Amino acid sequence: MNPAAYRELGAGLAMGLGAIGPGIGLGIMIGKALESIARQPEVSGDIRTNMFIGIGVTEAVALYAFVVALILIFVAK
Amino acid sequence: MKHPWRWIIGFCVIGGLVLLAVLPGGKKLEFEVAGEFQREVLVKLPTVGPFDMSITKTVAYLWITVGIILIVTIIVARSLKVHPGRFQYAMETLYELARDGIVGSVMKSGKKQWFPYIGGVFVFVLTCNLIGLIPLPFGDHHQTAFYTATANLNVTLMLALFTFLFTHYAGVRKNGALKYVKAWAPSGAPPVLKQVIWAIHVISEFFRLISLSVRLFANMVAGHAILAVFFAMALIFQSYLVAVALQGASVLIYMFEIFVAFIQAFIFAILSAVYIGGALDQDH
Repeated sequence: MNPAAYRELGAGLAMGLGAIGPGIGLGIMIGKALESIARQPEVSGDIRTNMFIGIGVTEAVALYAFVVALILIFVAK
Repeated sequence: MKHPWRWIIGFCVIGGLVLLAVLPGGKKLEFEVAGEFQREVLVKLPTVGPFDMSITKTVAYLWITVGIILIVTIIVARSLKVHPGRFQYAMETLYELARDGIVGSVMKSGKKQWFPYIGGVFVFVLTCNLIGLIPLPFGDHHQTAFYTATANLNVTLMLALFTFLFTHYAGVRKNGALKYVKAWAPSGAPPVLKQVIWAIHVISEFFRLISLSVRLFANMVAGHAILAVFFAMALIFQSYLVAVALQGASVLIYMFEIFVAFIQAFIFAILSAVYIGGALDQDH
């Protein structure tokens, strides 16, 4: 294989493998948040705000993988 | 009772789909996603020192954002009524979301002092993101194209740098420089561990800068890349059937992007509030 093929393979692997962890994490977090809202609907506002903060922090991990994939495709030569 | 119309309509739909699948598509077009994010120079200006002062697509989008925010806020502020109309009510909802939902829910002290910055960042990022979803004539040969200023790392890094500087400015001004820096490690920790924790905290402060900027940038780039691919896939597949299906799907993606624009503005503002609030009220 030529180097370009390795680069594109690496980009695909980075994105795919990098999405596994955040996906599991987001699933667990949103599930728990919904669970606690169902138990205590009166604090749903606070839970939702904190859930969004957590989503932002967790999702960023997948986006680092996306940026690495972009760098592999467009920047690395 | 039979319904002959049902059969006729069903046959028409199936026949239409078969016709769409059979019809030859148009000319095959090359499409490069990266081209959508190039900074095209609109007005060439000379370089001043290390800075290129030319007006690019990004600068034009930033100016449009600022213009829209100015016009909307001036119109709303000029025509305030006790019984608000629809437009004023929408603006009041946005204001309340920034004041109670973002600043009020995460900051303990300094709410009044830091609300203008956090609310301003929220409205600015939100307007930037939403303008990116309107096709404007800044593409190749003044074609309409999607672009957003927040899909440029320089813009988001600048916004994150503001939050970074204001965080430490707020912390130093409230607690004093020495006390502020000392409180980065817990006071009860043993000596060597304390220094290690302090060093890790310093690194994490810089990673906040990176994560805050890259999160917004990557979200916007990913969203616009997906939109561009969905719009252009019909040209690549050369089939009317694929085109019809994908235009339907791209409407859903577009609606999701509106949601993402809101969520990212909200997260950027709320994380800024969390960082500034954490510098003001240090718990350890």
